[in-house]
Amino acid sequence: MLTFDHYLTPKSLDEAFDVLQRMPAARLLAGATDLLPWAREGRAGDVHLPAVVDLSRIAALGGISQEGARIRIGATTPISALQRHPLLMQQAPVLGACALWFADDQIREQATVGGNLVNASPAGDTQPALLALNTHVTLVRREGGRLIERSVPLSEFILGPSRTMLQPGEILLRLEFDALPNHGVAFEKVGHRRSLAISTVCLATLVHLDAGKRIDDLRIAIGAVGPVPERLTDIEDLLTGVTPTSAALRDASVRVADRVRSRSRQSYRREVLSNFVERSLAAAIAHAGLDVPRIPKESQIV
Amino acid sequence: MSDTLLDGGTLAEGCHPTTEINATVNGRKVQRTVPNHYRVIDFVREELKLTGNKEGCGAGECGTCSMFVDGKLIKSCLAPVQKINGCSVETIDDLDRDAGMSLLQQAFHKSGASQCGYCIPGMVMAATSTLRRNPGASRDEIKEGLGGNICRCTGYQKILDAVELARDIQSGAIPASALEEDAEAHSFIGQRTRRLDAPAKVTGAIKYAADMFMPNMLHMQVVRSPHPHARIVRIDAEAARAIPGVECILTCDDVPGVDNFGVFIEDQPTLARGVVRYVGEAVVAVAAETLDIARAAVAAIHVEYEKLPSLFDPHAAMQHGVVQLHAFAQNNICKHTRIRKGDVDAALATADVIVEQTYDTQSIEHAYLEPEAGLAYLEADGCVTVQSPSQNITHHRHMLARILGRPINKVRMIMSTVGGGFGGKEDMIYQGMLALAAIKTRRPVRYVFTREESIKVSAKRHPFNIRYTMGLKRDGRIVATKMVMVADGGAYALSTPGVMNKSAILGPGPYDIANVWVDSIGVYTNNTPSGAFRAFGAFQSEFATECHLDLCAQHLGMDPVALRRINLMRDGATTHTRQQLDRVLAVECLEAAIKAAGWEPGVPYRQGQGSPQRNDFNYEGSRQSYLIGGQTQPLVPRAASRSDMHPV
Repeated sequence: MLTFDHYLTPKSLDEAFDVLQRMPAARLLAGATDLLPWAREGRAGDVHLPAVVDLSRIAALGGISQEGARIRIGATTPISALQRHPLLMQQAPVLGACALWFADDQIREQATVGGNLVNASPAGDTQPALLALNTHVTLVRREGGRLIERSVPLSEFILGPSRTMLQPGEILLRLEFDALPNHGVAFEKVGHRRSLAISTVCLATLVHLDAGKRIDDLRIAIGAVGPVPERLTDIEDLLTGVTPTSAALRDASVRVADRVRSRSRQSYRREVLSNFVERSLAAAIAHAGLDVPRIPKESQIV
Repeated sequence: MSDTLLDGGTLAEGCHPTTEINATVNGRKVQRTVPNHYRVIDFVREELKLTGNKEGCGAGECGTCSMFVDGKLIKSCLAPVQKINGCSVETIDDLDRDAGMSLLQQAFHKSGASQCGYCIPGMVMAATSTLRRNPGASRDEIKEGLGGNICRCTGYQKILDAVELARDIQSGAIPASALEEDAEAHSFIGQRTRRLDAPAKVTGAIKYAADMFMPNMLHMQVVRSPHPHARIVRIDAEAARAIPGVECILTCDDVPGVDNFGVFIEDQPTLARGVVRYVGEAVVAVAAETLDIARAAVAAIHVEYEKLPSLFDPHAAMQHGVVQLHAFAQNNICKHTRIRKGDVDAALATADVIVEQTYDTQSIEHAYLEPEAGLAYLEADGCVTVQSPSQNITHHRHMLARILGRPINKVRMIMSTVGGGFGGKEDMIYQGMLALAAIKTRRPVRYVFTREESIKVSAKRHPFNIRYTMGLKRDGRIVATKMVMVADGGAYALSTPGVMNKSAILGPGPYDIANVWVDSIGVYTNNTPSGAFRAFGAFQSEFATECHLDLCAQHLGMDPVALRRINLMRDGATTHTRQQLDRVLAVECLEAAIKAAGWEPGVPYRQGQGSPQRNDFNYEGSRQSYLIGGQTQPLVPRAASRSDMHPV
């Protein structure tokens, strides 16, 4: 059970920093959907904190807007907004595809995008899609009464399982990522079941074709197969400038198997990752307007 | 922004800072002061006594606590109570706005979409959310909307049928008369009869044990063993006794009567007596004014143990010279059931093929949606009454009377609505503690397990190791079967003797076999006790038998259905335990099943060769993997759908 001396609900960043100044050991929460199950038997057990600070009522941490070619969303944006917000549906549909596979309909109303990044779970479902969108995160702290922001690429922000660049006294303010309304997208995930499943492998693919049906922009990011999510830059480079063919997709899929760095279920993950890369490329390219059939694979029956 | 602050003062053990909550719940304003660690589910159930929504897991996995906050359905066990300040909450309790049942609830009633009923309030809430957002939701979209809610009884189909029925009545596609009960026919067989208890279950009105409150009620918590096998050296409960609000602390010394219970062998004490035999065994029980105080008392009790050698492998537990877990059970054998029919060795010598294989099955948790719970109290005449979802109240009553040293007429067991049991609630693992605490304190006492506690403590399906030898003639006729089965019974017998019997009797299957040898051995170990679980042992042994027949078919180059057809019992057959059967419909049953299944005859290893097994290449898989705006839409090629917007 999670217990605490204080539960504080600041209405502004300044109020939040006031609390952090008074109680540096206070724990920040937004959706609380990871924090409460964590403080139960079998995980952290009974946990007592001096204070928890609920960030969900700070207006500055919300909001969804477009700034030129970039989209800005506040850190406490619920996952459900990725599925339903008109701007995100139009400008970054890969996030909607990813949100569908995130926990369940109800937890998506509670859990936040910022929380999913700050937790830095190796299986965090939003991370591959956000990496593929070239996301930067903005962190804010208060020094001498002034709010100071810094922006870092998501690829650098997550350092390892449960480890990020977020410093004590710092709050994740917002995310900024590319608006890519014309990219074909695909998101793939497999876990033990359809809903409420922790990813065993997940992957996001975005592709853009030029007038000659050549790939002129490709982003593939994988999650749950290593300590941190990562972009498959070698595959991206390999296929950029190329007119995709069935053989090229198969070739790409064969090259990725060695990217699995998980400690468990490696051979399964290798096979799935390889198939996901091929299937998501085919799906994203089809979404972008070009059908590239997959070469059938022989079932491997021993 | 402030919470009730705790600056300067200190709180007694088990007391927490409080917080004032102002919200609208089911259309009514509420203002309450509650412990600040409460979650929304605690506030609704324990403070407001709105018990329609349940707590099944406390970790957001099961959906029994799903409720609306400002119109959005959430898992209320994942939300700190402060989240609803200033918000509007809707629970199942008043979903109908005092107007009888909502359309969805009526559709659940009509469709038979409730069995134990424990998941149903959450299911109704999730269905309500789905149809509110998307009145034309397809079956796939309904599945997605209900994806966060688990049911363990119904198999989901009737629930999905009910949501579709409500959707179609709402849209006018089907007349509302479809909700009425089907006309009575001559017989109830083959008729769709509405369940009598469904209205109470779909509205959340029915009370499970954890939903009951009594005036002056205490709350129980239990100190459990962290060791698989240890001697209890000393129990120090002084610090716990000193906590204000702790009303009673029980150990085995407080048991007045003959302190043992069990379904077949009464070998388990109400509270550990001198020794603990598995992780999770109850050692000390506490009853206190609040759950928080009871938890604090449990944390303050110190038990000193001396660890003993532990047995985790049933084969090792049967070896000579290992530790003996129960004085009466030689070689730690709890039950050995034997079947000897004909002469197996002689028959195997005549076989054309002898197929040997070993099968292992695992321990399985029942995972009924309702964790164990009970409420005990004394009647004015001194009769102690226990309400709990016990699956065996008459036997429990007799055992409890002996444990309490009372005449049977001073002990009453009431079976509360069972939120799923599947055999897992046949064991009297907590009712004794509750009755003792009620007698000691003369106050009602309630005990509600957490999901973790339920999984740790309750019985599991027996893991079996099955060595199989089968001899067959070239034409597929079985001449002899030999099964040697060793099952892990865990620390106490529970239903092990019965499970061994049934696994042996049913194990060789519905096949006419002249020579049968079965050993079914249930062994004590220091694992979680194994007990009753649907099919009671037959599941494990028949799993091995059916796997083995497929293997034999492969060895013989036969179609597995043909192999079974040859060997199935027919009219006049003699069972493995020599019961003479007159009429046997096994062959008819098999034929109907293979017809319904669309079976393609062939040798097992042929299956999957030659023709593709999967057809999802270049497709999205069996379910849409892409959904935007709350609706499943086929993935339309981009270029086709927006070429007019972005001319290339």
